[in-house]
Amino acid sequence: MDLTLAIIVTVVGASTPILIAALGELVVERAGVLNLGVEGMMLIGAIAGFVVQFHTGNPYLALLSGAAAGTAASLIFGFLTLSLSANQTATGLALTIFGTGFSALAGSSYSARPVTLMQPLLPEQLADHPIGRVIFGYSFPVYFAFVMVVAVRYFLHSTRAGLILRAVGENDQSAHSIGYSVIGVRYLAVMFGGAMAGIAGACFPLLLTPQWAERMTAGRGWIAVALVVFASWRPLRLLAGAYLFGLVMTMELYAKAGGGVLSVIPSELWAALPYLATIVVLVLISLRRDATTNAPACLGKPFLPTN
Amino acid sequence: MQFRLEKRREPSQFMLYATPVAAVALTMIVGAIIFSLIGYDGVGAVREIFLTPLTNAYKWQDLGVKAAPLIIIGVGLSIAYRANVWNIGAEGQYVIGGLAGTGIALLTYGMTGWWILPLMVLAGMLGGMAYAAIPALLRTRLNVNEILTSLMLTYASVQLIYYLIRAPWKDPMGMGFPQTRLFSEAARLPFIIPGTIVHLGVPIAVVVGLVAWFIMTRSVFGYRMRVVGAAPHAARYGGFSEHKTIWLALLVSGALAGLAGVLEVAGPFQRMVPGFPTNYGFTAIIVAFLGRLNPLGVIVAGVVLAITFVGGEVAQTTIGLPNAATGIFQAMMLFFLLAGDILIKYRVRRVVPQPSQGAA
Repeated sequence: MDLTLAIIVTVVGASTPILIAALGELVVERAGVLNLGVEGMMLIGAIAGFVVQFHTGNPYLALLSGAAAGTAASLIFGFLTLSLSANQTATGLALTIFGTGFSALAGSSYSARPVTLMQPLLPEQLADHPIGRVIFGYSFPVYFAFVMVVAVRYFLHSTRAGLILRAVGENDQSAHSIGYSVIGVRYLAVMFGGAMAGIAGACFPLLLTPQWAERMTAGRGWIAVALVVFASWRPLRLLAGAYLFGLVMTMELYAKAGGGVLSVIPSELWAALPYLATIVVLVLISLRRDATTNAPACLGKPFLPTN
Repeated sequence: MQFRLEKRREPSQFMLYATPVAAVALTMIVGAIIFSLIGYDGVGAVREIFLTPLTNAYKWQDLGVKAAPLIIIGVGLSIAYRANVWNIGAEGQYVIGGLAGTGIALLTYGMTGWWILPLMVLAGMLGGMAYAAIPALLRTRLNVNEILTSLMLTYASVQLIYYLIRAPWKDPMGMGFPQTRLFSEAARLPFIIPGTIVHLGVPIAVVVGLVAWFIMTRSVFGYRMRVVGAAPHAARYGGFSEHKTIWLALLVSGALAGLAGVLEVAGPFQRMVPGFPTNYGFTAIIVAFLGRLNPLGVIVAGVVLAITFVGGEVAQTTIGLPNAATGIFQAMMLFFLLAGDILIKYRVRRVVPQPSQGAA
């Protein structure tokens, strides 16, 4: 019972940042923009969150700083790809390279300095019972992620603004000729993606490992990008996907800790598993008939008004 | 005063080659300003990173050694990107190439013979090719995006190194360090200039660049890559199969990344260590773009990026600039380059406000 409990709690912790980052990227892609800089924005958010937590000890301020830093980073991407119609694939890669360097530079004087982990959101009494712990015992970002799944779903499918955003992603020329600002909508989407990636990054020092380590997001941003494809651009499927990956990553942790059956397989294979699982998942998705039919039609294409 | 963009009738050849130069110059200027603002000696940082490696003849050998893998991988990537095939997992193909070469070196440990190095090189290229074949197969058969698969395989390849040097390939005399034993003499790349660290990989890189330039400009293969990338519909009419192009792009770029890997492990490293993945595969992406996806340009760009690596190390010791600063300079270069791309297709026109004609 205790082990099951511990596993569930670890899975939730590992899944939360991926889910938050992937939700942001989902909205960006629904607007027709492919931002491959998620990993870089997450690292920038992680260092911003870490520094603020280190100096203020206020995790909410740390999450906000992560969001602000991620948004700022996303604006570099937005300016290049939306205002200057630069190649989105290349710009996203550049953003990831930049974020890796920037976070390493900013964090170079903070190595081996601990911060305090974020405390659970709800009163302790609720989490006394094991089942209470599994439901009520988490810190704010875990619930934030769930709320955002519902919110993003509602926004995309039940609001006028969401409809406009999807129109911009499906047919930018028509949206433009009706009079919507394609570039404006895409800027807002890209900024939302940046804020979410920044929050996701800040979750690493606040929820998972309470210190700064270079490249501490370890490719999770790329997994978030893959998850959006996995989820066929739908928020609820994203939730399932993120928790599936959280489970795979948790198995790695237990294998490394020498957890019985799991340790028969070399720990390196467990460490490689999330990445290999991503490939397997992408393959399985491609086998489905509706595989790419859900992809926004204008995904990754620069918008140049024809009139 | 207002400016607006006006589409050019023909892409500007001048801007095509002027923007990379401008990107490097802007990086130096803006870099100096930014690093000054955050409390470093900004001008000193730029001088050490961009100029010291050039002015200090003692550093030239480092430039050659660092530029070689960047050029070899960058040439392969430039060919793939020309065809719009986004292999961003060159780092993984580089690692597998290095591991394949290591495998041969360990199998032939203690043996002598001229054939060992060529066999290692062959194994390295085949290894890189095989690893790039996975994204190619998945893309052509199942339409799985090659960006994600090639990248995920990179993360997996690093774990493969860790496993091999921790368990089956571990140096029995290594005092517990996770690394293979030092390759025997016949499996080490010869130095071509006595007294320096310049190894055979350096001239190989130049040859790879020249040969690739010749092939890309003078052969049907090069034509195919350029046409498929620039005009996919026309290419289909012309009878170039898209699948075959994807295969070729990934296999060529994978083989070259593998070649770089085996040359690195047999040259500077001489054994497999945990620190073997040095991000050359990712930096080569910048090299390919800065070189305008043209193999000759890639040679120049490879040297430019090598300068920043060597200069970054210089700045670390002389003015205490953290090593990570190099990555920021490199990313800035790519940002400025991508931003400048718009000037190839558009020109900036000043809009002179017209005096209002009569009362409305």
